[in-house]
Amino acid sequence: MIVAALILLAVGGAGFLIKLVIGPNLSDRVVSLDGILTILVIVMMAWSAYTGRDTFLIVGVVVALVAFLGTSIFARFVEGRGR
Amino acid sequence: MIDTVGAFLVLVGAAFAALAGLGQLRFRDLFVRMHVATKPSTLGLLLVAVGAMFRIDGRGVIPVLLLIVVLQFLTAPVAAHLIGRAAHRRGEWDRDDVIVDHLADEDEL
Repeated sequence: MIVAALILLAVGGAGFLIKLVIGPNLSDRVVSLDGILTILVIVMMAWSAYTGRDTFLIVGVVVALVAFLGTSIFARFVEGRGR
Repeated sequence: MIDTVGAFLVLVGAAFAALAGLGQLRFRDLFVRMHVATKPSTLGLLLVAVGAMFRIDGRGVIPVLLLIVVLQFLTAPVAAHLIGRAAHRRGEWDRDDVIVDHLADEDEL
């Protein structure tokens, strides 16, 4: 059952990844990057639920923090005020 | 029994996250895509975290999962707001679908 969940997460990540590659504007790419990092955190939690070990959960905390910092800094550069 | 409940919650949460990814390809406007990227994946993260709490042994796991959920619930709206404002100022959105534009009134001041 969790294998099916991981496959579904791969499908969702592929959608974000396609939008990251073909997205016409810079803002689309920033949105896709934020979504990919959120899916990555979900994948880490689902993988921990699959194996029953808590090895990747701390990595999930760090990725959630880095996703917020990266997205806000990218938004500042997209706006053109961060130079 | 409780493992099955946890696996079912993980599966439902992963389905919500997959909807967020597929909505990126489905919708046309940037703000609609931002809506569909932020909200279902946050709900999916909550469901997967609760499902992982059911499945992982050990008492130290639950505070870490709660920390991930709280971080995501606090930072995802702020990040989406920042991207939305930046995209609005750059003009990378569909102006025909919008009826009321409060941010343009505020930027003129």
